[in-house]
Amino acid sequence: MKTITKLATAAVLGTTLGTAAVAQELYVPNLAYRTGPFAATGIPLMNGQADYFTMLNERDGGIGGLTVNAEECETGYSTEKGVECYEKTKGKAIVTQPWSTGITLQVLPKTNVDEIPILAPGYGFSPMADGTVFQWAFNMPAGYWDAASMIVQYLEEEGSLEGKKVAFLHLDHPYGKEPLPLLETLSENKGFELLPIPVGLKEMQNQSAQWLQIRRERPDYVVMWGWGAMNAGAITEAVKTKFPMENFIGVWWAGHDADLRLVGEDGKGYKSISWSFPNLEAPVMQDIREHVIDAGLSNTNPEESSGVFYSRGIVISAILAEGIRTAQEEYGTAEIDAAQLRWGLENINMTEERITELGLDGMVPPFSTSCANHTGHSGGWMLEWDGEQFVKVSDLMNANTDTYQDLISAKATEYADENAPWPTNEECSATN
Amino acid sequence: MLYRTAGQFKTSYTADQALFPVRQDAILLGVILVFAYLIFPLTASEFAFQTLLIPILIYALAAMGLNILTGYAGQLSLGTGAFMGVGAYACYKLITIFPWMNPIVAILLSGVFSAGVGVVFGIPSLRIKGFYLAIATLAAQFFLVWLFEKWAWLYNYNASGAIQVPNLDIFGLYVSGPQAASVTQYYLVLGVVTLMSILCINLTRGNLGRTWKATRDMDIAAELIGINLMRSKLVAFAISSYIVGVAGALYVFMWKGAAEPNVFDIPLSFQVLFIAIIGGLGSILGNYLGAILIVGLPVVLNLVPSALGLPISSAMVEHLNVMIVGGLIIFFLIVEPHGLAQLWRLIREKLIIWPFPH
Repeated sequence: MKTITKLATAAVLGTTLGTAAVAQELYVPNLAYRTGPFAATGIPLMNGQADYFTMLNERDGGIGGLTVNAEECETGYSTEKGVECYEKTKGKAIVTQPWSTGITLQVLPKTNVDEIPILAPGYGFSPMADGTVFQWAFNMPAGYWDAASMIVQYLEEEGSLEGKKVAFLHLDHPYGKEPLPLLETLSENKGFELLPIPVGLKEMQNQSAQWLQIRRERPDYVVMWGWGAMNAGAITEAVKTKFPMENFIGVWWAGHDADLRLVGEDGKGYKSISWSFPNLEAPVMQDIREHVIDAGLSNTNPEESSGVFYSRGIVISAILAEGIRTAQEEYGTAEIDAAQLRWGLENINMTEERITELGLDGMVPPFSTSCANHTGHSGGWMLEWDGEQFVKVSDLMNANTDTYQDLISAKATEYADENAPWPTNEECSATN
Repeated sequence: MLYRTAGQFKTSYTADQALFPVRQDAILLGVILVFAYLIFPLTASEFAFQTLLIPILIYALAAMGLNILTGYAGQLSLGTGAFMGVGAYACYKLITIFPWMNPIVAILLSGVFSAGVGVVFGIPSLRIKGFYLAIATLAAQFFLVWLFEKWAWLYNYNASGAIQVPNLDIFGLYVSGPQAASVTQYYLVLGVVTLMSILCINLTRGNLGRTWKATRDMDIAAELIGINLMRSKLVAFAISSYIVGVAGALYVFMWKGAAEPNVFDIPLSFQVLFIAIIGGLGSILGNYLGAILIVGLPVVLNLVPSALGLPISSAMVEHLNVMIVGGLIIFFLIVEPHGLAQLWRLIREKLIIWPFPH
């Protein structure tokens, strides 16, 4: 019986691998999560990503004449499924989009051996910014340390942070711990007291203990690194304990419209730093409405498609498409491979003009990458919930990257040493 | 038919007590071993190694460890995931403190740590039984995962709180980390699993196994016939946790490559427990069958729609997958409550007496 089962397994495997057709297309798989505990935040992002590529296929016939196959592989945010998806798609994929810090951490060392670019826009490991060490990893347009730096800058604009107390409410998970090294340095330099408050994965929905602590400690600000159910939990708890919402700031993954809609007017003043903005008047949004949504090719709904996360999905796909286009122009071929796409992603130059050309006006800040700089450090806007939707309340801010440049290279080198032998890009002469 | 036992006479007690009293069993095992050691490694793709062969073996090993405790010694445990974590973290610390250490030695040694922890959490089993013991092991589960999160020394003060497997080599051949070839890792896992299987089969057939079974079936009677219950239960905890710990070390070092504490949380314990229950408690073969059903089948099912060219979205496939596997689990448990191993035992029985059913 054991043999039979194994034989059947081998047979099914054989047929699948045998029939995988080699078609002329750009295969950019997405390790999506439309199921599982984080699905509520995943679905709008995935819809945005898919709709942008569908729009390109419908409007321009793909990129450079080749259609884009943005197939999804469902992970449910589980690392095991994520690795399964990575292995399944890596054969012909020119990029991998892991979509969770856990999956990113597992896939990161493998991409260096398999030589596939890993695109983790706005998430993942902050030292990935060092492109000479992390040759195959990209997290443009901005990383978590950029976010932390911009949030602290914004707080400073409201008055010196000297002697103030900032609570750092975060998911007790690699993702939530990511900005800690920078926040600790900043708290020393700026003289504010940092109070890290972890929220365990099991406590996401019930944060009464954490908010009791916040009430007792009376911090001047609460900075939140939350995700999935944790955001809604924190926001409702903040409303319940009457924490002044204008002093509550989240990272970009904590700025989901649906979470705020739960509290509506009471959430007024809550802020979230973001490198994307839903500009419904932007030409790209109109094209998507015309070619995708009205044509019935999308899974989205009107409420979702006006939100922050849907438009972030669009921006992510647009960045990837721009990388593909850059590579196609450089190598003079539409059918690029993974190594060529890496060059493309390393040479993105999103100027204001280019953003307007792409029809993304006001949806993403300008940024550019190089072989040394895989993040782009685009900067971002502070968004505020006005009771119905998120609006921009700041001009474009830029992170003080100088302050943590050394930290990036130190952590990157540390990672490379721990994972020796780790090939680095010796040819790259540009500085971060 | 295939299992005709006519003509296979036993002329000595030794022959009668052999591991395979029926010759066909030995042949079948030989075929399976040829597949496992030769045919699969030669034909399998990277995908098959990483999503089917290696995880099935590792989960089967973890379930085997649990089966010693729950299936043979009758002590219900819900802390398997945490004990796997102890093995994984112990291996990580061993490798980082003694970088010259042979990875195989480190993996086998890491089980010792989880055996120690297992014995400590097994002490309540001397006083409490059944569901109450399950609660005590649940406490181990929660406490240990909490410890993995909070004790920064365990993950070398890494900012992300996760452990990353370095590239390790044995005589120049990489066996773990991103540089290692899947086939090398597969052979290493297979070797360890084979070794542990031989150990378990012999342990459970021997004196110790009989002591465990007596403890499981009726502990008062066992005590009356002179079995030292404390020794029997604690040895079961130690050996079970040792195997589970080795499985945990393999899980991170030979397969995942990185792990954060919540990987070892209660869903992992349940998964291993389900493999043991569906495979068959009190059986070694069952662990493999259970692992194939619970770990392997979903991966294969995920491939079916695209192989047939059905245009189903991947989220839909995932939902269908959960439903199908769930349905199959219920089906198998209704058909044979004692698990897949018992199902195989019945099939084999029927084949032996075929064509004369009784």
